[in-house]
Amino acid sequence: MKRSGVFLVIAMLIFSLPGISAAEPTLEKIKRTGVFTVGTRTGSPPFGYINKKNEWVGFSIDLAQLVHKNIEKKLGQPVKFELKESTPATRIPLLSSMAVDLIAGTMTDTRARRESVDFSLTFFVTGAQFMVKKGSPIRGVKDIVGKRIGTQQGSTNERALRERYPQAHLIVFQDQPSAFTALTQGKLDAYTNDGIQLWGLKYKAPNPDDWEVVGEWYTYEPYGMAMRKNDSNFRQVVNVALMEAIEGGEYFKLYDKWFGPKSETPYPLSPEAKTFLMMEVVPK
Amino acid sequence: MLLFGFLSIPYEFQWSVLWQAPYDTWLMDGLLMTLKISALSWVFAILLGILFGALRTVPFRPLRALAAAYVEFFRNVPLLVWLFFWYFGAPEVLPEPIRQWLIHHGMEFWSGVAGISVYHGARMSEVIRAGIQSIPKTQLEAGLSSGLSVSQTYRLIIIPIALRLILPPVTNESLNLLKNSSLAMTIGVAELTFATRQIETYTAKAFEAFTAGTLIYLTLCLSIAYVMNRVERKFAIPGLIARAERAEH
Amino acid sequence: MVILSNAEFLLLQGLLGIGIFAGGTLRLAIPSIFGGFCLGVILGLARLARRSWIHYPAAVYIEFIRGIPLVMVIFWFWFLVPVFLRRPVPEYWVALTAFVCFEGAYIGEIVRAGIQSVPRGQIDAATATGLGYVQTMWHVILPQAIRNMIPSLVTQFIVLFKDTSLASIIGMMDLTKAAQTISQRELRPFEMYIFIAVVYWIFTYSMSRFSRWLEIQMSPERATSS
Repeated sequence: MKRSGVFLVIAMLIFSLPGISAAEPTLEKIKRTGVFTVGTRTGSPPFGYINKKNEWVGFSIDLAQLVHKNIEKKLGQPVKFELKESTPATRIPLLSSMAVDLIAGTMTDTRARRESVDFSLTFFVTGAQFMVKKGSPIRGVKDIVGKRIGTQQGSTNERALRERYPQAHLIVFQDQPSAFTALTQGKLDAYTNDGIQLWGLKYKAPNPDDWEVVGEWYTYEPYGMAMRKNDSNFRQVVNVALMEAIEGGEYFKLYDKWFGPKSETPYPLSPEAKTFLMMEVVPK
Repeated sequence: MLLFGFLSIPYEFQWSVLWQAPYDTWLMDGLLMTLKISALSWVFAILLGILFGALRTVPFRPLRALAAAYVEFFRNVPLLVWLFFWYFGAPEVLPEPIRQWLIHHGMEFWSGVAGISVYHGARMSEVIRAGIQSIPKTQLEAGLSSGLSVSQTYRLIIIPIALRLILPPVTNESLNLLKNSSLAMTIGVAELTFATRQIETYTAKAFEAFTAGTLIYLTLCLSIAYVMNRVERKFAIPGLIARAERAEH
Repeated sequence: MVILSNAEFLLLQGLLGIGIFAGGTLRLAIPSIFGGFCLGVILGLARLARRSWIHYPAAVYIEFIRGIPLVMVIFWFWFLVPVFLRRPVPEYWVALTAFVCFEGAYIGEIVRAGIQSVPRGQIDAATATGLGYVQTMWHVILPQAIRNMIPSLVTQFIVLFKDTSLASIIGMMDLTKAAQTISQRELRPFEMYIFIAVVYWIFTYSMSRFSRWLEIQMSPERATSS
């Protein structure tokens, strides 16, 4: 009897919580706390990862630092820059619980996600592909029926495959490294993620030549930085930082640093992508 | 309850996601998977526990040492580390045909079962050992001197007492096993905690999703505890106060 | 060997928490046990209180925490703590809060059992001598209860130490997460996990030997005192 009483009390407590809305604007929050927190990846080279020197670096992190400079300029006060790990499964809760102010990693801008968060300009374009062992019979999305495909919990690839190719056998991991290790051990026939991340993974692997990235883009993945909804002042700061970087060439320098021919994951910027990026910059 | 009212958190509650398709099936599937992996691991853990718990009490030194080694080896390392080991480490030393068979028959599930049963088997064996050892020797002597044979004494006196003694701590350990099954999500097993996170990533309604998971776990644990409590009381032998209360880790 | 080249990162960052990531298994475990103990004493005492408006909330809290997996508790705190504080919170503090609240419930039960194991006669004698409730607790009951509780408390600390590995799921850089990070990069999971298994083992085994030594120290005394 006592136990069922306990249970009822707990259930009542939880279900009686009313709904609420309205939040503190991000710029005010940053001004108040003096900290700008960015959620990024730790296992997604070259956007956000731990390098051989055990430093936390990446293309998205560098771009977020440009945003940080713009925030300091806008607020007129020094602001601390902090990084927090975020994964596909955790990034929206991290934002909505105010644990981070900006997600700068590998988050795809989608219409569904725009119901929960706002996105900055697109800062990178790619599409979902597959990573397989060299010589694997899987060459594209049509070959995955009945095969064991690894994905990350909460990613757009997982969702796309679940909706469009339910006959594929999905194994869902919590993070990219676990999935990749499973792939190397033959527990998966293929691992799916956005093409550029697969390239990054390939080049970071001990034997890059053992792995291939195959398949046409079966999804279109424009990466954007995510922030809380209805916060246009903050969004303006983020977008202006990105636009200034593209206009002033800072962006392309960073692109070259991380994706250029001398980098660890060469991924040439296609002319269409370059035009797209430059056209995102609206006049002053 | 009114606490959240003036905290102005940017969140809109939407409890209906919990019974919309496909989220409700995910919850059910997750629950079934939790039950499956827990039940199977429980069977193995009990068997291992009885085996090694008994071995620790036999009057033969090498066997006792072997059992002690098993227990100390497995229970001192966190279960999470064991799960990673059983999924990423151990299968690599298996012969190739077995490995391939496992891969195609749900290696994630079996690695989870292996990790959970071996770890909890070690914990069970400690609980069972303590129970067996807390039965006063006098019971055995009394039985023998009343004219019962050794096996009769065990069957009619020792084992019934032992079962009643170990029931509470074994129930406790079994509930721990059920709760620890949630760790299997890290190696790809789609159990209940995994399902709540899955719902959360698709709908961004973390509060509702986590609440669903929490309530289901609570219901499971509290009802099992309640049922076992009734069972214990029904079968309790009045006067047998000495209980194996050693806290085990 | 992979282990040697990365041992420094694993031990310094993962175990001790020195480095760019705020984390560390020991840095999490030790404050958690102290915080958990304080909370546990409060909960244990509350659980034994005669007034129902004190002991029911404590009982509800303890049963609630004991009925759900630690992973769930961690997720809840991960989600709720920044909301209540309205500012970003490093994983370390989320994990610490979660662990204190979680362990507090379990320690509350240990405290309750410890207090209940002190013979009733002590309370009666104290009351007869004219001591109030607080004085009785502080000078008579708690000292004896704590002596009884110490083996269970050490055991609970061992449990806590192993449970800190779950903090890796929310990204706190503890020993387990450090091993994961490195094995992802070097792709040698077998060596990494064996290494940290050994490290965990060394700590917990020593602690359990210590606990057994403590019990031996205490039981001869108990046998002769009554």
